[in-house]
Amino acid sequence: MTISSIDAAPPDHAPARATDAPAISAVSVSKRYGSVTALDRLTLDIRRGEVFGLLGPNGSGKTTFMRLLAGYLLPSAGRLTVAGLDTVRDSLAVRRRIGYVPESAPLYRQMRVGEFLAFMARLRGLPERMVANAVERVVDQLALGAVVDKPTRALSRGYRQRAALAQALIHDPDILILDEPTNGLDPRQIIEMRQLIRSFAGRHTVLMSSHILSEVEKTSDRVAVLLNGRLLGVRAMADTPDLEGWFLSLT
Amino acid sequence: MRTLRILFAKELNATLTSPIGYTVAAVFLLVLGYTFSLTLFVTKIANLQYIFHQMYVLSILLVPVLTMRTFAEERRSETLELLLTAPVRELSVVLAKYAATLTLVIGIFALTLVYTVILDRYGEPDWGPIYAGYLALALHASLLVAVGLLMSSITESQVVAAALSIGAFLMLWFADSVSYLLRPPFDSFAINLSLIGHFKPMVSGSVFLSDIGYFVTASMLALFLTAWGLAQR
Repeated sequence: MTISSIDAAPPDHAPARATDAPAISAVSVSKRYGSVTALDRLTLDIRRGEVFGLLGPNGSGKTTFMRLLAGYLLPSAGRLTVAGLDTVRDSLAVRRRIGYVPESAPLYRQMRVGEFLAFMARLRGLPERMVANAVERVVDQLALGAVVDKPTRALSRGYRQRAALAQALIHDPDILILDEPTNGLDPRQIIEMRQLIRSFAGRHTVLMSSHILSEVEKTSDRVAVLLNGRLLGVRAMADTPDLEGWFLSLT
Repeated sequence: MRTLRILFAKELNATLTSPIGYTVAAVFLLVLGYTFSLTLFVTKIANLQYIFHQMYVLSILLVPVLTMRTFAEERRSETLELLLTAPVRELSVVLAKYAATLTLVIGIFALTLVYTVILDRYGEPDWGPIYAGYLALALHASLLVAVGLLMSSITESQVVAAALSIGAFLMLWFADSVSYLLRPPFDSFAINLSLIGHFKPMVSGSVFLSDIGYFVTASMLALFLTAWGLAQR
């Protein structure tokens, strides 16, 4: 698929391996910090193999939901499962199935890109004999060959984002969680990132967040709108010709 | 165990590639070298008791410089989010940072073994207090590193982490000095809490299990609190 065809055409909304069994299931999940409710009784199912977009303004609860899924935060109430595993009780098993890219795309500054990816591969439990192959695979997949020997602190924003995505893919997880994956990228990098995310559909379940309507529109199979920690609605993109109108009607 | 090894290697590498460790080692050895030469020429006695006390004070000031970045830096740069969303237990993260920092501190202490060689070459030192002194320093370092990690884990500012650590160490150091203000049994509790109260006898060559127990228990408690704090998120 060429870059121009991505921009012109809507994404293919029929992921190859999508089934109705939820990859992610949230039942009345809340997260509170003292008197502040960051997420309020969220109930949501995300299907296997789909690209699911979380749409909402800053502070709407998108990052909190993703951090809960990734095991970085613990829910205050409700039940959250990934592939049928409880994110609190089976936390380590859940984390093995997830690849997570936080919004700031953090990397270890003292490491080179290849070294960083090998470290993350080992940390995610890959046997030593598979580490080099896994690094080579993600370096190819994300076109990081030119910077693999560079210190991560010397990377441009686009390469940083790709290196962060590479560490999330290093163990070939079932589920990818991408928090604002196009944040800070230039227009060309945004297009390339969209193309990448679409290419994951079917092979991985992708949950991505954005506060930009067109990002979600061009990448997601389904979209949920969050506002002030509450889920306002979920729609298939195929049934939503006017995302902007729908979003405005909800918010 | 493999995870612990991977994290330990990463932490040790970060410690050894940072200029902070070398700066601390240089300051430490410079001050000690001066003190050692001076006391040796003035007293002409082949023991290290004065040096051990100096190392006790210096480590209270310098260990926070080594521990301040352990968690605070990871929190500030958000790499802590990467670590804690990998299939890794909080305790492994804490133990790896503890072991790497303690290795560095004990490595710096080990450089002072050259003083024992000098004493042995030119005098007849009593080895008992020297062995006990190094044991005391290792235990002291363990406690300082563990408490330093705890302080670093509760803030994303390295300066605040260092200040909290020094504050905690000074409070432990002088805990017994407030005992006369307290009623029983709190007075004896304050006395038993004192860092110097458990360090001093060992440096003189008197090794008591109660003193070893104090350092080991306090280190374990600080490490447990750090891991527990990380898990409460």
